[in-house]
Amino acid sequence: MVNPFNLSADLIIKKAKSARLKALIMNHKAGQGHTGADLSEMDILLSLYLHIMRYDPKAPKAPGRDRFILSKGHGVGGFYACLAECGLIDEALLGTFLQFESRLPGHPVKSKLPEFVEVNTGALGHGLPIAAGLALANKKSGDPGRVFVLIGDGELAEGSNWEALMAAAKFGLDNLVVILDRNTLQLAGRTEDIMPLEPIDKKAQAFGALVKTCNGNDPSDIINAIQTAQPQKQALFLIAKTTKGYGVSFIQDKPAWHHKIPTDEELAQAVKELQ
Amino acid sequence: MGQQELKKEDLRSAVIAELVAQVQSGVELMVVVGDSTSTSKIAPFLEAYPDRVVNVGIAEQNLVGMAAGLSLGGYTVFTANAAPFLTTRSAEQVKNDVSYSKSNVKLLGLNAGVAYGPLASTHHAIDDISIMLGLGNIHVVAPMDAVEAREIIRWSIGFDGPAYIRMDNQAFPVIHDENYKFVPGKPDVLAEGSGTLIIGMGSVMGEAYQAVQSLKEKNIACGLVNLSSLRPLDTEALANIIKKYERVITVEEHSLHGGAGALVAKLIADKGLRVSFTALGIPEGSFSVCGSREEIRAHYGIDSRGIVKAAL
Repeated sequence: MVNPFNLSADLIIKKAKSARLKALIMNHKAGQGHTGADLSEMDILLSLYLHIMRYDPKAPKAPGRDRFILSKGHGVGGFYACLAECGLIDEALLGTFLQFESRLPGHPVKSKLPEFVEVNTGALGHGLPIAAGLALANKKSGDPGRVFVLIGDGELAEGSNWEALMAAAKFGLDNLVVILDRNTLQLAGRTEDIMPLEPIDKKAQAFGALVKTCNGNDPSDIINAIQTAQPQKQALFLIAKTTKGYGVSFIQDKPAWHHKIPTDEELAQAVKELQ
Repeated sequence: MGQQELKKEDLRSAVIAELVAQVQSGVELMVVVGDSTSTSKIAPFLEAYPDRVVNVGIAEQNLVGMAAGLSLGGYTVFTANAAPFLTTRSAEQVKNDVSYSKSNVKLLGLNAGVAYGPLASTHHAIDDISIMLGLGNIHVVAPMDAVEAREIIRWSIGFDGPAYIRMDNQAFPVIHDENYKFVPGKPDVLAEGSGTLIIGMGSVMGEAYQAVQSLKEKNIACGLVNLSSLRPLDTEALANIIKKYERVITVEEHSLHGGAGALVAKLIADKGLRVSFTALGIPEGSFSVCGSREEIRAHYGIDSRGIVKAAL
C-alpha cells in the first residue's frame, strides 16, 4: 500500500494554509472549538495524510493500512479540516461541526466517522496505550500497517502514557510512531510552569523509544524525520516542535487561543494572512 | 440436595480451560494480564499459547487501553486482573476505550465482591456492578458457578463488543448441570416455590441455594432465581416470575447501591408489582469490613443462615 497523494512538502505547505482557513471558518461558524490546537497540529496531520501514511481512501478499513489515532482529541477541528482538505470527507460537512447529532462532534467519535476515527478520544492519556495495543496486534498478526498517534504535550502529565511507553519498549513496537505536538502551551498556560516536561527527549529515550526532534510546522522536516528514522525494536518518539495557533499572527503562541473563537474582524484578518 | 453433596469447581480454572478450547477451535484471541498470572490461574493457557498472553505489568490503565488497541487489530481480547483495580483504576479506559468505542474486549473482573476477605477494602470490589451498569454499551454478567462461567465465555466470544464478567476466586458448588445454556437477559430459575422469591447474583448464589434447601426442610418452598445477566435483562420475564410471589429477597456480595438489588427494586417500581421487598448486601455508603469471607458474609447476612433468617 502507498500514500494515495504523495504530495511534495511545498504543496503540503499550500494545503496547510487552506486547511487552517477551513478550521477557522468552521470554528467561527460553530462558535466553539480548540483553535490553538487545530492550527498547531495541521502540518503534522497533512504530512501524514498527504505523504507519509499508506492507505486507500476507497477502502479506508483495508488490512495492512497505516492507522492514525488522535490522542489529543480536542484537536479534532484540525483533524476534520485536514480530512476535508485531502478530499477524504465532504467539505460541506465542516458546516455541521458541533451541531446536534452532527457527524463532526467536538471530540472524535468512531460511530460518526467510522472510516477515519479508530477509537473515541478526548479524555487525555488514552491514545498512546491504544496505539501500542494496536501496534502489538499488527506485530502478532503480521499486518504491515504502522500506527501513528498524535499526543499533546500537556497530555504527557497523564501517567498512562508512560505505562504505554514502557510496554512499547518491552514489546519492541517499531511499527509505532508517537508524534508529540510540542507547542509548550496547555489550557492554563506554559507546560513548563504547570508540570515541567523537560528534558522530554531524555525521558522518552530513557523509556526505550528512539527519539527524534523536528520542526512540527515544517512538512519537509516532519516527513524527513519519520522517513529516515531507524528504530531498533522500539517506538519512534518524534518531538514535533510547533507553535500553538501557527500561521495566524494574533493567534500563535497565545494561551488564550486554546479555545478562543475568532470574531468576524479577526476571521477577516486571518483570511488575509492565510491567502 | 444439600450443598455438601455438590461438586466444587474454581470459576477461573473453568474459564481458562474454555479459553484454551476456544483458541483450539480457531478463535483469534488474546489475553491481557497485569502481573496477574496467578490471580487469573492462566498457567495452562500460557503454557499452550505463550504468544497470546500480553503481560503489561502493574499498569491497569495501559492494560485496558492496550486491550482496546489489540481488539482494533482484529483480536477478541480478554483482560484478566483483579476486579477492584480493573473497575476503578482503569474506569475511564473501560468507559471510553472499551464501552463508548464498543471494542471487542471482555473484561474478567477477577476476585470480585469480598473474595480477598482479610485483605480488606482496597482489594474488595463491592462496587463493580454499579460502575459497569453506569456505563453505556457494555454487557454485565456474573456467573454463579463453573458451568455458567464456561457458558458465559462461549457466549461472550459470539459477539463483537464489550462485556464485563464478574468472576470469583474459589471453588464454588456447581449447581448447574452440564447441559445448562446461558441465555443473555433470561432470569435463570433454579427453584420454583410460593410466597418468597430469592433473587441473587454471583458466587453468593451458593449460599442462597443452600438457604433454599434449609427452608425446604422446614417445609417452606421458596423460589430461587439466578440473575447472572444484569445487562441485558429481560425485565418482562423477570416481572412475570416475581408476580407469582408475595415477597422478594435479593442477595448479593455487592453494595446495595447500584447492584442486583437496586436493579430488581427499580423493576418492581417500574412495573408496579405489589410485592414486599428486602435487599441483602453491603449497606449503601459503606466500605466492606475485614475478615474471612465466611465472616464477612455472616456479618452482612448474605450467608445461607442470614438468608434463611431473612426469609422466615
